[in-house]
Amino acid sequence: MDIVVCIKWVPNTTSVNIDQKTGTLIRSGVPSVINPHDLHALEIALTLKDRFGGSVTAITMAPPSAKLGLEHAIGMGCDRAILLTDMVYAGADTLATSYTLAKTISKLKFDLILVGQETVDSSTAHIGAQVASWLHIPYLYYVVDVNYLGDGKIWAKRLLEDAYEEYELTLPALLAAAMHSTHPRRVKLSYKLRCKSEQIIEVWSNKTLGLEANCVGLKGSPTIVRKTSFVPEVPRKKIVCKPKDVEQAAEWLIKRLIEERLLKI
Amino acid sequence: MSICSEWDKIDPREYRGIWAYLEVEDGVLGEGGLQMLGVARNLASQKDTYVGGVLIGKGVSSLAREAIYYGADKVFIADDEKFEEYYAALYAEALASLAKEHKPEVILVSGTMRGREFTPYVANTLRTGITADCTSFEVDPAVKDVLGVRPTFGAYLIAHIRTLNRRPAIFTARPNVFPTPERNPAREGEIIHTQPKVADGYGVKLVNKKRFSRGTVPIEKAKILVSGGKGLGSRDGFTILQEFAKVIGGEISGSRKAVDAGWITHDKQVGQTGKTVRSDLYFAVGISGAVQHLYGIREARCVVAINKDPDAPIFDNCDYGLIGDYTEVIPALIKAVKKLQARKTE
Ligand SMILES: Cc1cc2nc3c(=O)[nH]c(=O)nc-3n(C[C@H](O)[C@H](O)[C@H](O)COP(=O)(O)OP(=O)(O)OC[C@H]3O[C@@H](n4cnc5c(N)ncnc54)[C@H](O)[C@@H]3O)c2cc1C
Ligand SMILES: Cc1cc2nc3c(=O)[nH]c(=O)nc-3n(C[C@H](O)[C@H](O)[C@H](O)COP(=O)(O)OP(=O)(O)OC[C@H]3O[C@@H](n4cnc5c(N)ncnc54)[C@H](O)[C@@H]3O)c2cc1C
Repeated sequence: MDIVVCIKWVPNTTSVNIDQKTGTLIRSGVPSVINPHDLHALEIALTLKDRFGGSVTAITMAPPSAKLGLEHAIGMGCDRAILLTDMVYAGADTLATSYTLAKTISKLKFDLILVGQETVDSSTAHIGAQVASWLHIPYLYYVVDVNYLGDGKIWAKRLLEDAYEEYELTLPALLAAAMHSTHPRRVKLSYKLRCKSEQIIEVWSNKTLGLEANCVGLKGSPTIVRKTSFVPEVPRKKIVCKPKDVEQAAEWLIKRLIEERLLKI
Repeated sequence: MSICSEWDKIDPREYRGIWAYLEVEDGVLGEGGLQMLGVARNLASQKDTYVGGVLIGKGVSSLAREAIYYGADKVFIADDEKFEEYYAALYAEALASLAKEHKPEVILVSGTMRGREFTPYVANTLRTGITADCTSFEVDPAVKDVLGVRPTFGAYLIAHIRTLNRRPAIFTARPNVFPTPERNPAREGEIIHTQPKVADGYGVKLVNKKRFSRGTVPIEKAKILVSGGKGLGSRDGFTILQEFAKVIGGEISGSRKAVDAGWITHDKQVGQTGKTVRSDLYFAVGISGAVQHLYGIREARCVVAINKDPDAPIFDNCDYGLIGDYTEVIPALIKAVKKLQARKTE
């Protein structure tokens, strides 16, 4: 089975700081990582390859620095990686991003596409459905387990709030991997070193893809940010104390909450 | 102005009406869709247009009147055998087909698990813009377009997003942020039976489904929540919180750090990348009060903070705060409740 995994290169949210005054992100010095959900997508793809053979190709649309992320993917065991990078792709919303990804994938040989459920930076969870729509292939979100059934079919299990569901999908298909669905494997140095010796990471610009400028980047994006503003503060009472006698304070608080009809006992 | 050749040419002026997609859950209208009807009414009155409700499924016609009682002026119904089982692409193409025919200006979908799965496909089919996870909506005073407001990465800053020149403008909304409108059985409206164009199959088949009960009230429905963070120190901390929750009739929830540590499951995470809660009471225990966490408790009526650090930002965002170690404060609260209960039964 030939599998394509879409990965996004995102700021590491565990080390992001926010300027409390301006409310903006302090991005400088913040390292980027592969979007955490996408590691699960990679793991599912690589497990399928281990069991059924085939190939795994990782692709990302990003600035050149995302090459580090693709090296990570190669280090996990991907066979090939493609970095889509071009100034005309900048400023893309999800319609334009998914178009560029879908056009890239349609140039590759593939049976299955895996994406993460959503990203940690803008977390729209649009891309999976949109790529499937451009390619007219079946798709499923919230996937936790996958198996190849042979005969051009796969089985996928997904977890909803109150149910497990199992599906059969006809290949080619797209699956969005849920967070915590696998234990993503570590990078193997011997794999990663291939990035140095072989031309294993390809860089594609719009010269390679030849997409219409009107369909990609800012021009291919119907959504625009009209303005930004601050989240209005919620008015709260802010009655805070450091009690000398904890039990007395606890009793005062519980009585107060009962008086305010927030608590019934 | 030239546009992408993959997009069909449209005239935005032909598009009128604010639609709300009504998800059917176990034979009744889901809360999320009702919340969207409320939003739609508000926008429609500002834009002087109608509110459309969309029902897709098998046997859903009987719900049309309910949709009207909750605010729809027109209900578009696709009631057919082939919609018995929900499949994302099937429902998406049905909704897209109705939108092509009836040309609404806006489609609102609650961001339930299904909503988030199929709505981007609708937008793509129509080659239009979609804004995710909105927490408020407004009509831009200058351009008169509907804008969806959503948090940016930091959650301090919010972006007001517009879909330029493409219609319908599509939005998913964060569940539970908007109130459910009043049901008014005196309302009247029009019921329109439709036959959306869909394919015969979408290459996907449900083969098995196992319902389970988490044994608890989902946190978005709970009246009282006792929420724990990294400050609990270990999973055992939740045992104490659980005991407190039990005596006051509440449920437990947690911060992202508590979820990441594996102390509590993700369906109980409160915040920007978790859920918005609307409880009457919210106890934040060992939670520092990061903006992304606070984002999820904006709709809580009363926030009580318990933290040993007097400078924790949660104390600037609470109604009541007790500075102290939770291992002392929580048992004291349990004791206080039990004491008052005993007094009541005497
Ligand atoms: C604060 C903010 C809010 C935004 N809101 C919107 C909005 O409401 N609507 C809109 O259309 N756009 C929006 N955008 C733009 C959007 O973030 C970009 O289009 C982005 O490239 C893809 O969206 P995502 O990160 O939400 O992806 P998601 O749809 O959440 O990603 C799902 C999966 O798709 C794959 N994927 C995503 N991006 C890439 C990529 N570049 N390369 C390879 N694989 C990828 C990954 O597997 C990922 O796990 C917003 C951007 C910001 C910064
Ligand atoms: C894009 C993005 C999205 C995010 N989404 C979410 C989200 O949805 N939900 C969310 O919660 N977070 C989210 N976060 C993470 C958020 O920024 C914080 O890191 C997180 O909320 C902190 O969790 P915490 O308060 O449990 O832990 P900490 O910040 O580590 O706070 C622990 C607190 O416990 C107190 N404490 C320690 N010991 C005790 C004791 N014995 N008794 C009492 N108090 C004690 C400490 O004083 C401290 O204030 C997101 C971050 C980003 C960047």
